[in-house]
Amino acid sequence: MGDITSTYDLIIVGGGPAGLTAAIYGGRAKLKTLVINKGTVGGLVNTTREIVNYPGYGQISGEDLMKDFKKHAESFGTDFLRDEVVRTDFSQEDKVITTKKGKVYSSKAVIIACGSEPRLLNIPGEKRLQGSGVAYCATCDAEFFEGEDVVVVGSGDQAIEEGMYITKFARKVTVIVLHDEGILDCNKVSAERAFQNPKMDFIWNSTLEEVQGQDNVEGVKIKNLKTGASTELACQGVFFFVGMVPSTHFLQESGIEIDKRGYIPVNELMETNLEGVYAVGDNRVKYLRQVVSAAGDGATAAVAAERYIEEMKAFNSNVLESDKQVLLLFFNAQDNSSLEFGTLLEEVNQELQERYKIVKVDLTTKKNLAQKYGIEKAPSVVVLDKGQEVKRLDCLTTIENLKSQLC
Amino acid sequence: MSLEKLNADQFEKIIYNNGEPSLVIFSRKSCHVCQGVIPVLEDLKPNYEGKFGFYYVDVEDDKTLFQSFSLKGVPQILFFNEGEYQGKLAGAVDEEKVEDKIADVLEG
Repeated sequence: MGDITSTYDLIIVGGGPAGLTAAIYGGRAKLKTLVINKGTVGGLVNTTREIVNYPGYGQISGEDLMKDFKKHAESFGTDFLRDEVVRTDFSQEDKVITTKKGKVYSSKAVIIACGSEPRLLNIPGEKRLQGSGVAYCATCDAEFFEGEDVVVVGSGDQAIEEGMYITKFARKVTVIVLHDEGILDCNKVSAERAFQNPKMDFIWNSTLEEVQGQDNVEGVKIKNLKTGASTELACQGVFFFVGMVPSTHFLQESGIEIDKRGYIPVNELMETNLEGVYAVGDNRVKYLRQVVSAAGDGATAAVAAERYIEEMKAFNSNVLESDKQVLLLFFNAQDNSSLEFGTLLEEVNQELQERYKIVKVDLTTKKNLAQKYGIEKAPSVVVLDKGQEVKRLDCLTTIENLKSQLC
Repeated sequence: MSLEKLNADQFEKIIYNNGEPSLVIFSRKSCHVCQGVIPVLEDLKPNYEGKFGFYYVDVEDDKTLFQSFSLKGVPQILFFNEGEYQGKLAGAVDEEKVEDKIADVLEG
């Protein structure tokens, strides 16, 4: 691994709405913040032609909304880097990130906001004919199918809405739907519009088996799931809208817990299983994947990261740089006897003319610290000198014995 | 280093008349995959200064060009040498794929 190129308080991986909102909050909290983004800032939102449910904006294109987000983040002094993260080392207090261009960055906290990408069906012809009739983005490619026949796979919001957009160019759009006749996964308004669109056709209870064609798409093979029968349909284009998968593959070796489908589970602070590492937006396990909820995630994670960094700095200056020896007391706020022990320890320290500095740590909330010192029960006391462990106290004892342990 | 934008006339002149070995990416602003591939080319361009041309065409500004190649999507990187079409790369491609293809074109 190369030398560290730059050091930050907070690095955000991904520049969609979640990452940019985290950048706004991070920048405003005066954290030295870097956003690493591999494509254009804005992410997948850029492909949405029309957003009508982001509060405060009656109607705006995804691209324009993301430009506003970015401008806002820049106004708080956030740095932006166009590069791709290929490797991470989250095992130390300083997190290390290596990019495709070979740069190495370190930071105190990291927010993963790398979003998701279209799922592939992995059927014959799909990959080979990408860009030659197989497409995943109507905004990008619909125009290339002027006057031609197009097949759309899927029936969610994206499939139906994009399908209708394609009818502006194509002669006919045939939608392949998994469900029984009349059932679409999309919202009701879009479904009604689609049924009324004279250019839209539906093939029910079916899935795609193969994309056919030599150099360009010439047709598809459709399988009826009820009868098992295969039919062929001539077309010049196939658009796949069969859902998204999280873009978390680069984290496989990172130690971050990832579920079977590739999503990162987090708690309500957006914390992953790793200290100082957060996950927000489409790449985390969640109920609603929208710009507004992504923005909410970003705000939460940035505030949580800010507090984490502050606590870490406070701990470092209180404990590791203390002139006096430190009694690091792990207590449990819900356990009276450990609270009483705290009072006892303070009394003993007073009798010893405040020879020690007592730092109290709640075992239930500071799990990372407890883990670092291998503490499992409260009360526990670790005696530290300039951050080095001197000894541990026997806490199940009398005041005299406690005093003698400290003399 | 940013790519030089070509219109239909410049395309004719540089690619066909001059016959310079070149690649041309067909892209559009609203396509996020294109916006991810362009920086890859921008980074590679300095390595091929004087040896291989790097250009781009905006399909919204020059419809006739993409129609003449009957393209079925963006981004598409088309390769040319001595005025002859040498093949293309479609979709999200990485550095290595582009470098390999350039090597092929230069050797061929």
